Amino acid sequence: MAPLKRTASETIDKEDQLHSKGASIHKKALIRAIENGEEIDSGSGEESVVEKESGDEDASDEEEDEEEDEEEDEEEDEGKGADKNTHSSGKVNAQDVQVARATAELFKSNIFKLQIDELLQQIKLKDSHILKVEKFLHKLYDTIQKVPEWEETTLAGVDAYFKGKIVSVPFSDPKPAPSVQYKFNYKTPDVSLIGSFALKSATYDPQGSSIDVLLTMPEDLLEKKDFLNFRCIHKRSVYLAYFTHHLSVILGKEHLTEFLQLSYDLLNKDPLCPVLKIQCKPGGSSEYNFYKTNFSINIIVGFPFNFFEIKKLLPNKNCIRVQEDKVTPTPLYNFSVLSSSTNEHYLKFLYKTKKQTEAFKDACMLGKLWLKQRGFSSKSSHSGGLGGFGGFEFATLLSALLCGGGINGNKILLHGFSSYQLFKGVMKYLATMDLCSEGHLQFYSDLSTATNLPTSRYVAEGFQTPTIFDKTTKVNILTKMSVTSYQTLRLFACETFSLLNDVVKDQFANIFLTNLNKLQDIKYDMTFELEIPTQSLLLEKFGPTEKIKFVSFENFLVNKISNVANIALGDRVKTLEVELVNYKTYFSISKRKPSSHGSSLNIKVHVIVNPSECEKLVIKGPVNSEEFNSEAIIFKNFWGKKASLRRFKDGSITHCCVWNTSSSEPVISQILSYIFKLHLAENVKVSDTIPKQFQELIPLPNLPASTSMSVLNLGSYYNMRKSFDLLHKTMFKLELPLSIKSILPVGPAFRYTSTCQPVPYAYSNPDFLQDVILEFESSQKWPDEITSLEKAKTAFLLKIQEGLASSDAKYKTFFARDESIPYNLEIVTLNVLTPEGYGFKFRVLTERDEVLYLRAIGNARNELKPELEKVFLKFTSKYITAIRHNRTIENLAHTYPFYPPVVRLFKRWLDCHLLFSHLPEELVELLAMKPFVECAPFLIPGSVENGFLKILKFLSQWNWREDPLILDLAKPDEPDVGNDMNFTSGIELDSKAADSLRDNFTIPQMKGIQSNFASLRKSDPQGMNVQFFVASKNDPSGILYTRNIPLPIATRLTALAKVAINLIRTHGLNKQTVDLLFTPALKDYDFVVELMMPTPLKISSGVLGAAEFKNLEQPQNSFPADLSNMSEKMDPSFQLVKYLNMKYRNSIIFSSHRYPGVNGGEKGDRNVITGLIKPTFKSPQKFRVNMDANVRPIDNEQVILNKEAIFNEIAAFGKELITDFRLN
Amino acid sequence: MSTRVDSMKNGFLVVPFKLPQSKKLQEHSEEACHYMFIKKHQSKSEQEQNCLFLVNLPLLTHLENLKQGFGSILSQYDAVAHVSQLLHHDEFGLSEVDLSSLTSDLMSAGDAEEKRYTPRNTALLQFVDAASVDNAWSALRKYSQERKQSKIVTWNFNSPSMATFINFYKPLDLDYLKEDVYSHMALFEQREQQAQEQAQSSIVDEDGFTLVVGKNTKNLNSIRKKILNKNPLLKHEKIVKPPSMVDKKAKQDFYRFQIRERKKQEISELLKKFKEDQEKIKEMKSRRKFNPYA
Repeated sequence: MAPLKRTASETIDKEDQLHSKGASIHKKALIRAIENGEEIDSGSGEESVVEKESGDEDASDEEEDEEEDEEEDEEEDEGKGADKNTHSSGKVNAQDVQVARATAELFKSNIFKLQIDELLQQIKLKDSHILKVEKFLHKLYDTIQKVPEWEETTLAGVDAYFKGKIVSVPFSDPKPAPSVQYKFNYKTPDVSLIGSFALKSATYDPQGSSIDVLLTMPEDLLEKKDFLNFRCIHKRSVYLAYFTHHLSVILGKEHLTEFLQLSYDLLNKDPLCPVLKIQCKPGGSSEYNFYKTNFSINIIVGFPFNFFEIKKLLPNKNCIRVQEDKVTPTPLYNFSVLSSSTNEHYLKFLYKTKKQTEAFKDACMLGKLWLKQRGFSSKSSHSGGLGGFGGFEFATLLSALLCGGGINGNKILLHGFSSYQLFKGVMKYLATMDLCSEGHLQFYSDLSTATNLPTSRYVAEGFQTPTIFDKTTKVNILTKMSVTSYQTLRLFACETFSLLNDVVKDQFANIFLTNLNKLQDIKYDMTFELEIPTQSLLLEKFGPTEKIKFVSFENFLVNKISNVANIALGDRVKTLEVELVNYKTYFSISKRKPSSHGSSLNIKVHVIVNPSECEKLVIKGPVNSEEFNSEAIIFKNFWGKKASLRRFKDGSITHCCVWNTSSSEPVISQILSYIFKLHLAENVKVSDTIPKQFQELIPLPNLPASTSMSVLNLGSYYNMRKSFDLLHKTMFKLELPLSIKSILPVGPAFRYTSTCQPVPYAYSNPDFLQDVILEFESSQKWPDEITSLEKAKTAFLLKIQEGLASSDAKYKTFFARDESIPYNLEIVTLNVLTPEGYGFKFRVLTERDEVLYLRAIGNARNELKPELEKVFLKFTSKYITAIRHNRTIENLAHTYPFYPPVVRLFKRWLDCHLLFSHLPEELVELLAMKPFVECAPFLIPGSVENGFLKILKFLSQWNWREDPLILDLAKPDEPDVGNDMNFTSGIELDSKAADSLRDNFTIPQMKGIQSNFASLRKSDPQGMNVQFFVASKNDPSGILYTRNIPLPIATRLTALAKVAINLIRTHGLNKQTVDLLFTPALKDYDFVVELMMPTPLKISSGVLGAAEFKNLEQPQNSFPADLSNMSEKMDPSFQLVKYLNMKYRNSIIFSSHRYPGVNGGEKGDRNVITGLIKPTFKSPQKFRVNMDANVRPIDNEQVILNKEAIFNEIAAFGKELITDFRLN
Repeated sequence: MSTRVDSMKNGFLVVPFKLPQSKKLQEHSEEACHYMFIKKHQSKSEQEQNCLFLVNLPLLTHLENLKQGFGSILSQYDAVAHVSQLLHHDEFGLSEVDLSSLTSDLMSAGDAEEKRYTPRNTALLQFVDAASVDNAWSALRKYSQERKQSKIVTWNFNSPSMATFINFYKPLDLDYLKEDVYSHMALFEQREQQAQEQAQSSIVDEDGFTLVVGKNTKNLNSIRKKILNKNPLLKHEKIVKPPSMVDKKAKQDFYRFQIRERKKQEISELLKKFKEDQEKIKEMKSRRKFNPYA
């Protein structure tokens, strides 16, 4: 029954008619596409064509309605009785109201709906492309009909036939034995178009998308028993090869092979299902060349529907008989056979749903895009990577949920839902319902439209493999999905679901627009590279049972690795992904199968870490017992020598494994190295140099056993805190004229973010003295003038000092001037050194201060006012918000265990690039917090390198001119997904979510901050004055910490981050690139001054060198008897740079390392000063008295910066420090 | 060096100083010169008579090395001038803003206008008498027109020693600090008391009203100038007002017209928002914000 239809698309049409469905979408679509094509030049006539068509066909057949129509239809569905003719009455206003109202209800918000509309426009296929490729599809259909039929041939005959021909038969492993009795043949197939292209839910992809053409083998080529032992598979391979041979011959005759490329590919990475892939090369003038459309065509050979007995192909049945074994299930094989016969069936099923559900197509497109952005596709994930869940699976799940899906078969989704509601419903289902270990979804892919169909149901019985089971065809549509891939999908679905519930921030871009796969190092917390030099050992384990179970060695290997890793890591990881490097599925038509790997196997294991568990030391196994315990034996066998018995505090004796923490090596990496060697092969190489390298870059404290402390260990900070608490108590006991109200710590070490960890007696560390703010009981008597106020404060500090000196505790004290507030030269701080070796710097805050600084602004001349406002901001940030900031960050640091090490590494990076001294510490901490509190669409960083790279990525993409950074500094809440599956629509959820918003931002707060930003940019649209707008609840103004940053520094930060991210994107992470990330680019500055200090500062800063003679670095263990001798081990370069910046404030920006102990060479006695001449001074300008720069005259009006004189001045200024002076 | 310039259009003499060769800079610098710009200072102020106005002073200039530099110039032309002091020199901009006087009610005697304002990198050099200024000025004029390289005077920097930098870290001397605090506080209290007494004594203004002053009022400035200055941060913040009690209590849906009005308002708001959103989308579209493959 060779069909007489002309086109591939029309064959489906025929099928439709067979099932008496009436509407021939494909024909219509084709006509319309052609009509469109013709009318593209003369404007869009699309609507009218559709109208005409639908007039005499089914009215609900419209697919690309305009918004208004769509909305109105939805209104009708809800029975609101909107007048159908409103839009034609021309009353724009009333119509708009309706649209606005409907979208607010049916979508999350108006803006979300509009965004979705725009997005769908962007990702739909171009009409011209469809037209072009349809032309070729017609041609292809004709060509297929020309392939001559064959006659029954034995295997030997087949071999003989293909001998000397280019085409080989793509037999799957194992090749048919020469003794096989069955015959091979080719008869003209039944041709149809399947997949998303046929369903018209295909999305545009710049990487190219494929069109699936199905050739169904005629029934008379197969026998009922052929599903056994690869028979049908081999018959199909020969069928495909014969077809390929003749197709290439015919195409060659018609001169189409000039631009057409034929190759074999494995459909969805299924080694049992080779397909023919047709691609185009550029060039040639043939009308059939569809290269520009970026399409490729897959020719899939399928089996007739319902030909084999489907019960025998259930996932738990055995269909490959090895000797007497008839029990071992062969789920992958069964699935491959079954799914090859159901392609067309599912197309019809989905088409049915599409007709019933208005927004189905849009929802499918959204779902497909969402999956693609996260790296999911329909490709099997059993041989590595993410997969098993692509557009088809999404659409099928959506259809299943439209017919039920709840525990009682209640409907999860309704046909009248909008695309947004459908999408959100699927996300919620994926996020909340366990389809793997605790239950599965079953549904019926029935094609009839009757209303009394059986509904889909969630069944609380898990098969330990992801399952959505179709009772009609007996196919588990998630067979291609591995457990780890499912875990990852669920993780992302949970996150997206909570984003969809966010009513405060616009999360659209995070849900749909960001491609997570661009930088694997950012998507995953850690990546381990495995190299297995010889496969022999593993190949031995790949025995007959494994062969029929896993079908291919790749599947077996990936399964093995992910199982071992999953068991070994347990809840240390959220999910992991195994990737086979260089694994290709496509191969030349002259080959039988894809070329195998070289001598060694390269595998990548990507891990998403669970930060709160990852550095746990002990893995607890089963409790020890006298009698035989199979669990204990399994545990011991799995862990080998590492397994040991331990007694715990509660008296229980348990089998367990104990690991060591290390400052450089994560526990996960230790476990993996050990366990892979044990279970894969002795000589497997696990490389974990990257995490190590990053962790080693964090300055290590010179403390006993610091190398064996985990990066998450905050012990050194707790010791400092303890010492502070003792001091705190002592101070409260003192008798003072005015009692102390509060002693509030504000130094960075109190929130675990100081660049160097606190080390006793390491007073060269610039952060050694930690800031503390002291407040007294309120009093009216504070002097009403700033100098006297500061003097009065000092008087109180003197009293405290006397008190401390007379107390028993051995505190040492001294006073110092403080320069943190410009122009206030009278601030004196009381510095206390504790007997434990820590130092604290006390400053006094009174209720008068703020009034006085404000008064100064009021009293000042107008031209001085901005300067005084800066002073006020400085005061506010130093004395008032510092307290709140410290408290907030300290809290969050406990919530995000990786935040402290990440921020320390980021600070080090900034100091490396000489930027740190220009940026307030608080700002740096807020920037570093961004990937933690606002991780979407990624996950919260679970490793040092991941957090660090995410900061850089954010900085590289942050367009601060247009976008504010608004941080919601609240603890993350567990995604509140609950267990109730009885929700009916997305609307309820929204209101619920809005109520349960924790202490996060509210909408008015958010709006307030946004309008603050808008007004800032109104006055400064280019961001010349304030670049970074960083707001949080602590500082809604957004400029508190960023007001004083020079423009060149802000742009340099952005530029450096861009360079860094580009470097990683092009060269990946390796030893060289990481080193390069931390190498300052001194050439970019106008001049560079190298400094050498008389005393090395490294040891006295408490920093431990990476690989030096550690035992030689004896830490300091006391303060000098005369405290004024402490100054000898202080950094003179800091003062030099400070004064240079003051002197040349108007013309040059000087930068240097703030931490010579860290970045100052091996001993910490080096530093470097770089100068950046401000752009206005690079060219001559008119002489003015107040120009404030060292200039020389050019003529009697113009002057230019006198660089030579300035260099001389600098050289004279830093005479004893400077070793070299370079001009760039 | 290109053409020499003697004086600027606005009357400043250009006074060059040769700079000593620095070892650290050998490879780079040829002959570097520093250029000071000098003008006669004219001021009504008593304290600022007989002054030269100097622009662009070299690093760490103080009276001694300035005297030395000028001295060698003057001696070339056999002129004699006696320098008395260097005024308003603030190289690092430390005292650009006098916070104390800006915050104090006691000391704000004069208007802000009357206060001196000298730009940075400038100073006044005061001479003992008018003759000295004139001598110095004419010598400088001749010097600025000098073309012979050999005649150019060399300037000597005073390089700070390592100890200078280190000393910034030294603790304050306790006795000195105590003494300083106590003497300042004593002075302040005295001034405060004086002001309070003045305020307490009854003041009768032009219209014959007596100003009544509270017992605790220390001075009058606080009454005269109410501080109305706003917190500069508030310029950048909008404050959301909570609804008042009256608003809360009044029934909003009592009359039919209220309900009608409200509905109307809601719809118009909805529509307004919708239009805004549409605009926003248009703008985002123009910025190509919808490309998922970017």
